[in-house]
Amino acid sequence: MWGREHTEYAEGEIHAVFGKRSNADVLIAVDAAAEALGLSPGIALAEARAMYPDLDATPEDPDADAKLLTAIADWCQRYTPLVAENPLDGVLLDISGCAHLFGGEAALRDDLVVRMRRHGFSARAAVGGTIGAAWAAAHFSETTRVDSGCERELLSPLPLTALRLPHAMVAMLARLGLKRIGDILDLPRAPLAARFGGELLRQLDRALGREAEPLTPRLPVPPYFAEQPFAEPIAREEDVLAVTERLAGRLVTMLERRGEGARRIELCLFRTDGAVRHVTAGTSRPIRNPRAIKALFVERLAALGDALDPGFGFDLARLSVHAADPLAPTQTGFGGDARETAVDDLVDRLVARLGPRRVGRALAQDSHIPEIASVIVPAQSHLATKDGGWAAFRAFSHAVDLSSRPLRLLARPERIEAVAMVPDGPPLRFRWRRALHEIADAEGPERIEAPWWSEEEGSARDYFRVEDRSGFRFWLFRAGLYRDTVSPRWFLHGLFA
Amino acid sequence: MPLAHRPAFPAPPGDASRRGRLVAQLRQTIRRIEQRPETLEVGGGRLRFGIPEIDEPLGGGLVVAALHEIAAISEPAIAAATGFALSLVGQNRKDRQPILWVAEGMSLQESGAPYGPGLDAIGLAPERIITVAAAHPRDLLWTMEEGLRCRALSAVIGEMRAPNAIDDVAMRRLSLAAGAHETPALLLRPAVAQSVVAETRWIIAPATSSSTDHGPGFPAFHAQLARNRHGSLGAWMLEWNCVEQRFHLASARGARSTHPVPVAAAPPDRPDRTAVA
Repeated sequence: MWGREHTEYAEGEIHAVFGKRSNADVLIAVDAAAEALGLSPGIALAEARAMYPDLDATPEDPDADAKLLTAIADWCQRYTPLVAENPLDGVLLDISGCAHLFGGEAALRDDLVVRMRRHGFSARAAVGGTIGAAWAAAHFSETTRVDSGCERELLSPLPLTALRLPHAMVAMLARLGLKRIGDILDLPRAPLAARFGGELLRQLDRALGREAEPLTPRLPVPPYFAEQPFAEPIAREEDVLAVTERLAGRLVTMLERRGEGARRIELCLFRTDGAVRHVTAGTSRPIRNPRAIKALFVERLAALGDALDPGFGFDLARLSVHAADPLAPTQTGFGGDARETAVDDLVDRLVARLGPRRVGRALAQDSHIPEIASVIVPAQSHLATKDGGWAAFRAFSHAVDLSSRPLRLLARPERIEAVAMVPDGPPLRFRWRRALHEIADAEGPERIEAPWWSEEEGSARDYFRVEDRSGFRFWLFRAGLYRDTVSPRWFLHGLFA
Repeated sequence: MPLAHRPAFPAPPGDASRRGRLVAQLRQTIRRIEQRPETLEVGGGRLRFGIPEIDEPLGGGLVVAALHEIAAISEPAIAAATGFALSLVGQNRKDRQPILWVAEGMSLQESGAPYGPGLDAIGLAPERIITVAAAHPRDLLWTMEEGLRCRALSAVIGEMRAPNAIDDVAMRRLSLAAGAHETPALLLRPAVAQSVVAETRWIIAPATSSSTDHGPGFPAFHAQLARNRHGSLGAWMLEWNCVEQRFHLASARGARSTHPVPVAAAPPDRPDRTAVA
């Protein structure tokens, strides 16, 4: 199936889009009025302007085209989850098993074309047993339906371009007098392959259905999804949430059957004007509870606020599970770890509202470098286990009698001006954020070497734990070995309680 | 509560007044059951310091189901206030439930994020901390309230940078949420702010630690109880013993004997003045 977009203009004007090809401005696309006057893609812009001075030519914008095509592909998800973009101007839908939902293949095709027209696009579409046949029919024929086995009849009279071949190859075939697909259908295959390579025969075979052609969907097909079309568009947030819960109820039945729970859920809302809204929510453990799923989207929608923008309403809602993990059926009892699930639910709600990067847990890593030894990872990620590596850290710190670490670590060590009493000793006083601190007590140095593969300058750090006369405790370090540096650079890295 | 819908003794039909009385009686019973006891027994709903001089004016320790304000006397003292708050909520070693730490992203940048090995050093298991970096004060308040409502956390700690970002209405909401769900809410502030809602207000300054052979010793605080709904105010020098996991009263030391030059500590109420030699 194939669609081509054009915006409709007022009558009496001729429009074209031009772009640079081989360093010259040439027309890339023309509208029907221009075509009737004899203009066609490939004509130089200057030439076209000379013929028709009132030609309204617009420079091309490939990025906007690509975005529009993506939006249309998104919208086509209402028919089937298997949608692929076909650059530059087409969309491929795999409608196997979906057509009956729309009253058959022909009805589906008509529905698509009518809806596209309502959105201001003129579209051509054809249904076929192979991608190649449908593509050729949509581009070069008035046929809208190619039954399996009739590909040969359809393709024979069509030009060779209909096989989706490179321009150079078509030109070369034309020079040999081969202009239509029918011309090569019955030629001996071996000489053709020897002369033109495998591409020609592969495209021919694919169009005829002798060779399978995979369709690569734009978005991964969710393992579970449920959808609900509306006769009357819905716009209120409460309605969206009510529908979400109902769809979640249907998903849960499917999940239960396979003993799985949802980890990442997406809600797609198809707006009447063709825009599609995607709202995704993640969970920190597999869930299979419609109310919990709804609760996630309550937070997500609240966080989105006006960004959801229902416009004139949504006419289709789809809830899909993109990632699922095994979840054994549980018997809720009197004991149990209700508190644990309560914490997981809390994390999910916080993430849904604030975003996955804002909620974290500390993870211990096997490193001596202070800023790497402990990092904060997103609480929903698989790294954030219940233990977080801290049991191993405690064993290590006990074994080596690790010197005390600060309670708060600055994201980046801050440069301080420090005066040391002895060259490689702790500082006597230092100035941090404009305040002068007189050091009363210090412990150190604790030397932490950067790994040998590090390219950082001044690889070693000499850390000191110091306390000033008012009782403020800091973690300072001198960058680099004293003997290597002319003027030692001091940094403040952390604050002790 | 299923009791509310199903009277224990079905009244004979037609006897409306008797049935009404019964329903009223049952409702009263339910209210009595559901009502939070006004005073929880000492130790149960309290965060105790384990020091009679402090626990006594508080009525046995900090009330768990309430909002407490912990202000740092100056900006660098936020680490001391952090240590005080975490030692307080983390001292019950049997409690393995998480602690929710909510801070504005900005303050994590400015005063540093809680650091796992440092938490471990003061005796708090780092895996218990869930950190949230909020983008706005309103997200911070929402997160704190949500955390309190969850009931499965040991404590919710919110770190608020701007002194006026939170008004009394928001404070009261937090206070009510803490009360209703019996989870302590601690509001950390890098500066002293005035509010009448919190159950207690502490002003924390670091204090010179007792020196050891290995440099500075256990964390020490100068804790001033500046507001207390239940009793008198006071100020104490506290030391957190990281090994025994408990607070000790420390004797105030003006000058350090280890230092050759006599010094006077910076007055805790005048953070702008540094120590004078």
